[in-house]
Amino acid sequence: MNTTPSEALAYNRSRQAREAETLLDRIQDGFPDNPQAMRYFYDLFRNVYCHGEPVKHEGTLVGTTCIHAPEELIYAFGATPVRLCNGSYHYDQIGADFMPAKSCPLVKATLGSLHAKAAVPNTAALELIVNPTTCDQKTKASAMIAAMGYQVHDLELPPAKESEEARLYWQRSVRRLAVRLRELTGRKLTRNNLKQAMARTARAQAAFRALHQLRKSAPALFLGKDAFLVTNAYFFDDLDRWTAAVEQLNAELLQRQQAGFQAAQKRAPRILFTGSPPIFPNLKLPLLIEEAGGVVVADETCSANRMLYDMTAVDEWLLNDMVDGLADRYLKPCTCPIFTRNDDRQRRLLQLASDFSVDGVVYQAFAGCQVYEMEHRSIADVLAAQDIPMLYVETDYSPDDMGQLSTRIEAFLESIKTRKRSKQ
Amino acid sequence: MSYFAGIDIGSTAIKAAVVDDAGALVGTHIAPTGSSFHKNAMETFETLLARHGITRDAVKFITATGYGRKLFKEADDSISEITANAIGAWEAGKAFGGVRTIINIGGQDSKAIQIDVNGNVSNFAMNDKCAAGTGRFLDVAARNLEIDLEELGDYHFGGNGTPLTINSTCAVFAESEIIGLLAKGHGKEEIVAGIHYSIARRTVRLAKRVGIEDRVYFDGGPALNKGLVAALQDELGRELVIPQEPQTTTAFGAAMLARSQFLAEA
Repeated sequence: MNTTPSEALAYNRSRQAREAETLLDRIQDGFPDNPQAMRYFYDLFRNVYCHGEPVKHEGTLVGTTCIHAPEELIYAFGATPVRLCNGSYHYDQIGADFMPAKSCPLVKATLGSLHAKAAVPNTAALELIVNPTTCDQKTKASAMIAAMGYQVHDLELPPAKESEEARLYWQRSVRRLAVRLRELTGRKLTRNNLKQAMARTARAQAAFRALHQLRKSAPALFLGKDAFLVTNAYFFDDLDRWTAAVEQLNAELLQRQQAGFQAAQKRAPRILFTGSPPIFPNLKLPLLIEEAGGVVVADETCSANRMLYDMTAVDEWLLNDMVDGLADRYLKPCTCPIFTRNDDRQRRLLQLASDFSVDGVVYQAFAGCQVYEMEHRSIADVLAAQDIPMLYVETDYSPDDMGQLSTRIEAFLESIKTRKRSKQ
Repeated sequence: MSYFAGIDIGSTAIKAAVVDDAGALVGTHIAPTGSSFHKNAMETFETLLARHGITRDAVKFITATGYGRKLFKEADDSISEITANAIGAWEAGKAFGGVRTIINIGGQDSKAIQIDVNGNVSNFAMNDKCAAGTGRFLDVAARNLEIDLEELGDYHFGGNGTPLTINSTCAVFAESEIIGLLAKGHGKEEIVAGIHYSIARRTVRLAKRVGIEDRVYFDGGPALNKGLVAALQDELGRELVIPQEPQTTTAFGAAMLARSQFLAEA
């Protein structure tokens, strides 16, 4: 640590540190059977979020504000991406100076942490922030981030993903980002370094997929609160170290599977989580579900499954084709509700529900996250048609509604159990 | 004879209910929650047993529900108030030809619950965060108007003019709105009716979110207020089923659950 003791003490006592500590205590002490391999992630979050330890990265540091920023491209230029999406109530409060009170807490918290310039994780200075123009709020955040003194690159994203025009528009956007990164790093993009970057993220994605598959086990081998912690670490951890830690976790879970171990009760309702993303330290909702006796077995969010499930598929190994293939990976499979048509999201949810033998769906919409709010009805209808119960929860980062939420979640889990009993 | 108890530890009142082997309601008791809810909960429970000459040993299973359910260690199990309320209303509603929708207004929150044809919860909604449109709001309003909570019903029917419009259901803002109306010289009767309609509108919105089906059961302490009942029926466009003792449905549901849980385990 290169901070002075007095600075370290001040950080420990900060609201941000307390928020993180409270959550980690609940995650670690509230559950008896945490995997040994989770130790790496618990320690990582404690060191980074509770003690303010710096995270060291290679090369230029590039912040990203959404999963649409193609990280393979950033790695290929010898730079390191750090995802800036923030889950802290403390920074949400600071960010309220920039955005209307009713806007999305995620965007507010990201602005708040950038404004505080004490961003957690504590990294070297961000030399560029890539801001994909996804939802209106993130789009408008661009100018505010720039006004704080950061270099911002608006990565233009089309509002549709089916049309060929949208695809070409997006491919051009990604190429423009490549130009910007070349100017920033002074390096050249080559087939070789892009291929290497793709191989690194592919290994990470393969590790995630293996973890994802292990969650099909019934009874569950481990809990969703840990899964979200693992995927949240991907935001800022060193890519290769993260991958190795996940591989180790997978090995342990495989052992658990062979030993017939169960991390939850046999009849614990299996929950699919969707909607606005749980981002550390705001794991409020998944944690309440599991504290109430449910288990989150799968998710459809941009802080986990949507971020890591899909890999780049390249069939033409020429540089331009590789970049296009990379661009496609960030557009085509994405099930974010920002797109005009979103049949893919409905299909994905139904698929996950059946693959993971899900008993119910919990849909989180951050108050002010309009796209998720608007889409919840259509999702509820699709699920109802398949006789899958859904709980819609509108919430934000504040802890005020925890009492009410826990009652609602318990009632939801109880109603699932009764349904299952009456079906038997 | 064995007995089964439900104890509903709410924010304002503690409600206890006891049923017998056959699932028939033996008795209920209500006491204020106060600041030491644990002691008061034990007293409520013991008072109820004493009144009906039931020994502690004869109570085979206790299920706790409500706000303080998890801290009440004397219970054998606990259940959320939504599920308990649904069970209680379903059972009690049988005497009225069956109910499928419940509107419950409590001390700090309001809920709407839809029950399926088998008596299970199929959908529910709860108000967010604050005590807008709940029993607490009626409390504050009555205090502002300097009338007793029990008198609100009479005032509702006492006015000649149309009910005034109260736009805020937030206790704090409604307070200033009520004071403003008083200052303008409006009668308490019209204001009270306005308050009831404002709560009713808000409650119906909540109920529509879950879908209103068949007979609607209305319970919770505020269901004792005839004025509020009238306003709610007016806004809802249907008649409400109101039990004799609307505060104890949830405790009754918990007791019924205690019984079936005991029988299932035996």
